[in-house]
Amino acid sequence: MSRSLVISSFLHLLFIVITALSLPFLAKKPIELPPIVSIELIQITDKTNIPFAPKAKKTIEKIKEEEKKLVSEQAPPKKVKKIKPDSVPMPDDKVKKIEKIKEDKQNPEKIDNEVKQVSEFEKDELFDPNNIAALIDKSKEESGDTTNKTDKITQDQQKNIENAGLTLSEEDALKAQIFGCWSIPLGLPYNENLLVRIKLRLNSDGTVLQSEILDHARMNKPGQGFYKVLAESALRAVKLCQPLRVPTTGYERWKELQLNFDAREMLEG
Amino acid sequence: MKKSIILFFLILSPIKALALIEVDITRGNLDPLPIAVSPLSIDETSKKGFEKILNKKNIGSEISKVVENNLKTSGLFNPLNKDAFLQAPDIANLKPRFEDWSLIKAQALITGKVNLVDEKLRVEFRLWDVLAGREMMALAFTTVPSNWRRVGHIITDKVYERLTGEKGYFDTRIIYVAEEGPKTRRVKKLAIMDQDGANNKFLTLGNELVLTPRFNPTSQMVTYLSYFRNLPRVYLLDIETGMQEVVGDFPGMTFAPRFSPDGKKIIMSFAKDGNSDIYTMDLENRIVEKITNHPSIDTSPSYSPDGKYICFNSDRSGYQQIYIMKSDGTKVKRISFGKGLYGTPVWSPRGDLIAFTKLHKGKFYIGVMRTDGSGERLLTENFYQEAPSWSPNGRVLIFYRETETNDKGEGFSAKLWSIDLTGYNERLVSTPTDASDPSWSSLLSN
Amino acid sequence: MKKFSYRNIDQGAIMKLYKILKNAFLISLACLVLSACATSKKTGQMQGDVYTGKETVEYLASGVPDRVFFATNESVLTTASRETLRKQAAWLRKNSKITVVLEGHADERGTREYNLALGERRANAAKDYLMTYGISSDRISVLSYGKERPVDSGSNPLAWSKNRRSVTVKAN
Repeated sequence: MSRSLVISSFLHLLFIVITALSLPFLAKKPIELPPIVSIELIQITDKTNIPFAPKAKKTIEKIKEEEKKLVSEQAPPKKVKKIKPDSVPMPDDKVKKIEKIKEDKQNPEKIDNEVKQVSEFEKDELFDPNNIAALIDKSKEESGDTTNKTDKITQDQQKNIENAGLTLSEEDALKAQIFGCWSIPLGLPYNENLLVRIKLRLNSDGTVLQSEILDHARMNKPGQGFYKVLAESALRAVKLCQPLRVPTTGYERWKELQLNFDAREMLEG
Repeated sequence: MKKSIILFFLILSPIKALALIEVDITRGNLDPLPIAVSPLSIDETSKKGFEKILNKKNIGSEISKVVENNLKTSGLFNPLNKDAFLQAPDIANLKPRFEDWSLIKAQALITGKVNLVDEKLRVEFRLWDVLAGREMMALAFTTVPSNWRRVGHIITDKVYERLTGEKGYFDTRIIYVAEEGPKTRRVKKLAIMDQDGANNKFLTLGNELVLTPRFNPTSQMVTYLSYFRNLPRVYLLDIETGMQEVVGDFPGMTFAPRFSPDGKKIIMSFAKDGNSDIYTMDLENRIVEKITNHPSIDTSPSYSPDGKYICFNSDRSGYQQIYIMKSDGTKVKRISFGKGLYGTPVWSPRGDLIAFTKLHKGKFYIGVMRTDGSGERLLTENFYQEAPSWSPNGRVLIFYRETETNDKGEGFSAKLWSIDLTGYNERLVSTPTDASDPSWSSLLSN
Repeated sequence: MKKFSYRNIDQGAIMKLYKILKNAFLISLACLVLSACATSKKTGQMQGDVYTGKETVEYLASGVPDRVFFATNESVLTTASRETLRKQAAWLRKNSKITVVLEGHADERGTREYNLALGERRANAAKDYLMTYGISSDRISVLSYGKERPVDSGSNPLAWSKNRRSVTVKAN
């Protein structure tokens, strides 16, 4: 009777200690959460134990001797492992093996934790960098207050448009400028369609009011991950080049401009 | 008639007025992308903790050095000089002042933070688009402190993938043959190192000649040729346990081994009575299959990534040329028809290209061709070089190069080199000793 | 008139032919002198590109050379090689307890794996020839080193010719 009492009190005490230790820990954790928006936790496995040469050498000797004992003319299918379990090389290795098994057991739990953590973060997400729709909305938002004004002007002056398109020299100037700004991502697959069309609304001084990727639906398609990279590089080029080298006259002609970025020629050559 | 013409213009004119001006941008610069790698910030207690464990003064900046070096060697990025950075690492990680970073011409920025949490290394990092002024990616890792270099490699892989659209190749290893001694009696050992040359380790002692190690798809096993007891045979080595065994029971030399893409078979050459043919052996049931049957030298086999085809070189035409066949040995087709000899074909992990060594007019070339033999491109020319091995993303090749000796036979060296598919970014991969026969592992993480 | 003109043409042709022959003679003479210089320096120990010198050769017994040499990318035995192998066969018949390893080698101007196969092919060519002279295949084993064990570390045609070889080594 007294014995069971002792055991029970001991277990109770243990329980209390554990909760006392873990409770503050649990309570603190949410506060310590890093102020990151979207984060993905990745566990890196600890497997880096590469054996040193002497060990390998001993193993090869042992295996060779084992083999010698096994006088076999024709490869029997049973000879999958030529080493007896007790002749496993070094005492060190045994320990490591046990550790490894332990790890393996822990692994499923670890993964569970990861998943939970990731999903927790996802709830807090304000902006998902992978969501392209958001990206495009943003770039649309970028169009400032000035748009309304320019719209009025356009309607008034529409009659004056005689000659759509840029002259050859005007186009060349613009092209030359953007060529210099566009860092083509070198890792793109050269055997894919590498055309990105970007529609711009410009101010008269050549600064960009608004930029829009025309085929943005393609970005979310599977296997087209590179397209996003390409589109981003084109947007960067436009940003880097501001103000664009536009003609000094005829704003109405080029206030809207479409740039067709095509990396194919560069990457194939 | 007149009416219709007028009508035509009437229809046309509004279109003309509304028509958007299109400008085709078909050229850009292929200069590496300017990127700023801000040292990862670290608090004082963590700093001291890591100094104790790893004997490194500032693990945050050490990790960022790994990232910086990786990005630079890729040839696709230009990491900017840290002296020009205006913002402190810890503040930059919270909210970068993009104007400051664009001032030094950075287009992308990497920031981050390192902590010691429960004896573990916790690293978070963010990638920023400087010109758009927004975050592109944020990730955190936890691992044992000794894995700190791998953290740097994994960060590089993530950044590389986010900015180029294809998988990286930095958290990988290279297995190769370390060489020492005079050319006539070289001592060769198996060695393994990280992709950037760090953590070099020897796996054999050099008592017997070893050649052509190759990883299995999970990079846990290596198959290679060993002259143990003067019997050149294909061996299998488990990198984790150090256990080695002979592959099969062949009454003669087996060589040129490689794993099948599923890792279940080894494909190799077996030489008998002066004739070398290609065989496979199933590692589970030990069944041996003869794949080629021709009185010529058939060797250097390599599977396509889907396992359906095999490329190899054969001198059945009289000279060494590249052939492909189905994995059962049927439908053999020669694909190399250029001038010179072709050898060591290796199928790209992407499946679209075959890398090879070419010998023409006394020069050796590393090149690639499509799997039907078209579109041959020679990437590099030298006195002697061979044995290309693909990076796991199929963008970079690693191979070895031997120097020409002088009249007295001196000055021999063998080194590893890498080159990417553009053919421009050629680099020496530094090794503690001379080196040959490199084989690139798959990505160690994910 | 006609005859004369024919003759004239004939004479002209002969003159031309003479000139051509003279030139050709001079050129070939020059070539001979030049090539003589060249061969005496470099290829004096080579016939075609097969090594014929004695520099690296060792002897199994007096008058029994231990190695034979091959042309680039070839495993065909030359007349000299066959003579060497016949001497080896005679020596092996006399010493019936000796077993040998035939070590096949290639020069460094090929890919490693192909060269392993080529070395094996060369050693086997030698083995086959010894067998036709009555040496049992039990007494001969074959080992290819490919380009791994050159005797001459030079990077020139003469060094390479010395390395393209099959060496008979006593195994017991």
